[in-house]
Amino acid sequence: MKDKLHIIIVFSIIVVLIIFAFIIDGILQPKSFNEHGHYRWDAVNESIDHSVVNQNINTCSECHQEIYQLHQKDAHYNVPCVDCHSAGNLHVSFHRKDANSKNISKKQAELKKEFNFEGCLYCHRKLAARPSDFPQVDQKEHYKFLHITDTATKCIECHSPHEPIFLLTDSRKSRLHPMVYKCTDCHKTKPKKSFYDVADHPKIFECKDCHPDVVKDFESKPHFNYVECRTCHLFHKENENMGRMYKNGNAKFCLLCHESKPFKDPKYPPKVEWPSHIKGLKNIDKKDTKICLDCHSKQIHTMELKLRGNPHPGNWRTEHKKFAKTEILSKGKISCMNCHTKETCFNCHKLEMPHSETFLENHKETIDKKGKKLCLSCHSQRFCNDCH
Amino acid sequence: MKKNDDIDRRKFIKLGLCSSAGLLLGSLYAFSDKPVNSEFKSYKDLYKYNWGYIVDTTRCIGCGACVRACSVENEVPDSYFRTWVERYEINSKEEVRVDSPNGAMQSFKENNFKDEIVKAFFVPKICNHCRNSACTQVCPVGASYHTPDGVVLIDKEHCIGCGYCVQACPYGCRYIDHKKGTADKCTLCYHRIHKGELPACVNACPRNARIFGNLKDPKSNINKILHQRRYGILKPDLGTNPKCFYLGLDLEVK
Repeated sequence: MKDKLHIIIVFSIIVVLIIFAFIIDGILQPKSFNEHGHYRWDAVNESIDHSVVNQNINTCSECHQEIYQLHQKDAHYNVPCVDCHSAGNLHVSFHRKDANSKNISKKQAELKKEFNFEGCLYCHRKLAARPSDFPQVDQKEHYKFLHITDTATKCIECHSPHEPIFLLTDSRKSRLHPMVYKCTDCHKTKPKKSFYDVADHPKIFECKDCHPDVVKDFESKPHFNYVECRTCHLFHKENENMGRMYKNGNAKFCLLCHESKPFKDPKYPPKVEWPSHIKGLKNIDKKDTKICLDCHSKQIHTMELKLRGNPHPGNWRTEHKKFAKTEILSKGKISCMNCHTKETCFNCHKLEMPHSETFLENHKETIDKKGKKLCLSCHSQRFCNDCH
Repeated sequence: MKKNDDIDRRKFIKLGLCSSAGLLLGSLYAFSDKPVNSEFKSYKDLYKYNWGYIVDTTRCIGCGACVRACSVENEVPDSYFRTWVERYEINSKEEVRVDSPNGAMQSFKENNFKDEIVKAFFVPKICNHCRNSACTQVCPVGASYHTPDGVVLIDKEHCIGCGYCVQACPYGCRYIDHKKGTADKCTLCYHRIHKGELPACVNACPRNARIFGNLKDPKSNINKILHQRRYGILKPDLGTNPKCFYLGLDLEVK
């Protein structure tokens, strides 16, 4: 019996200790622990409670709208501002004058703007591991190729980071390359060898496959062996399934190689002083971007400069409408004749523009006389189908 | 003598009780809750999401913009990385070299092989936010956990810096921050994604090689890509069930 008491005492002590341990555990456990699992629930909300450092491109565009538009048009449109200009949280809060702005000096709020080679070469240095369709530069070869004598010349002397290849949205939108979707787009008969993955295909196409005349002509011209088709025409892959070709006749583009600058070899390739080179020449619209090709197109290859004479480049229909409305409304009259002469439209369309008031009544006669095709050059088939 | 002994014992017990009570009170004060400022997210709010991540190795150019953006965003100590870019180069003799100089913070300088390289590519690495993560299982204090939206986080106030999780992670995505004395890792920029921003690395990528989104939303971009493209995961044999998917993954990548 004496032993029984001992056992009861020992066990009751153990039970009391266990209860005590549970109570202490309960007291010492941090608040909200085990609420939704074996962790402190409040820690989740504490993790959210940090401020954002790297700024979004949309935040930048709120103030820098102009430069944003420029940037969106060119090949760097996918490169966010933070990659070159650093995080920018101090810059934003300083200029927005929010609660934190008092602790920020003007110098801290400045963005990174100086760029040496490394800044550009982070992305564009030639490496075997980079995808071959990505533009890469071997600095030595590039300078040798362009006859640049001063090797300390920075990339930004020629390339503006916001518009590195001087593209205009219009030309990008309008000059779509006929895209290759299926094997039968190129192969008339069934190919001998088939590829499971399109990426294994040795080459999708070469320029001369579809443009043999242009390439042959180009080979007899001074640019041959110095530049390739891809120097001026860029095959641009936006995603796996789509390719796009754009062309550049911008004067700035030609001047990349041909403008004389102190760091370049003065003799080769032929240099011109700009803009004094065209100062003496008349009949040149200074706003025109394709000035060089007017005179020098024959030195490159035969090209139809249709776009130059084309009054409707790019998405003219929507943009010119907008432009015309704002211009015209300010003058109070609605007419093409505010800017154009009567012949401007008539020369090509052989029709009065906008159509005369009697046109609707007599349009059957007009169509009989001039053909239905004339309508379709401006209006879609649906336009006619809506009534007929 | 006997009397003195008795008094000493009583004193001893008194002292012991007093000091333990003091300790209890002190610790209660130390662990008392601190106010949280931001809008409080409830469990239901977070349960709507299941964040996933895609790395498109075919598009990565190894510029290291993600690494730089991450280190600025999260104040990552030097020579540690929450995300880094590895380069794999294979020459004509089937020799493989893998490198990641300073995590690609300063991008890559030269090819490793002087002779012909037959195959080369970049692989960005990041915490896989596994569904069955090894790192959370080994934490002795419950400081490493899964959030309801599927992100593996660390409770830095309660982490004791023992380093078990650093050893447990098969992908080497954790490190010990010696300044704070805690373990640390990628949080998928938890403070950004709940404010409607993308993670810093996704935001900084100039080639859209990193895609981030909600796996529970059937219309999200990430689901669209996972349905269209063929993808793989790292070390599938370990059964960690990662939520970071790799497009164009090579056999060499581990």
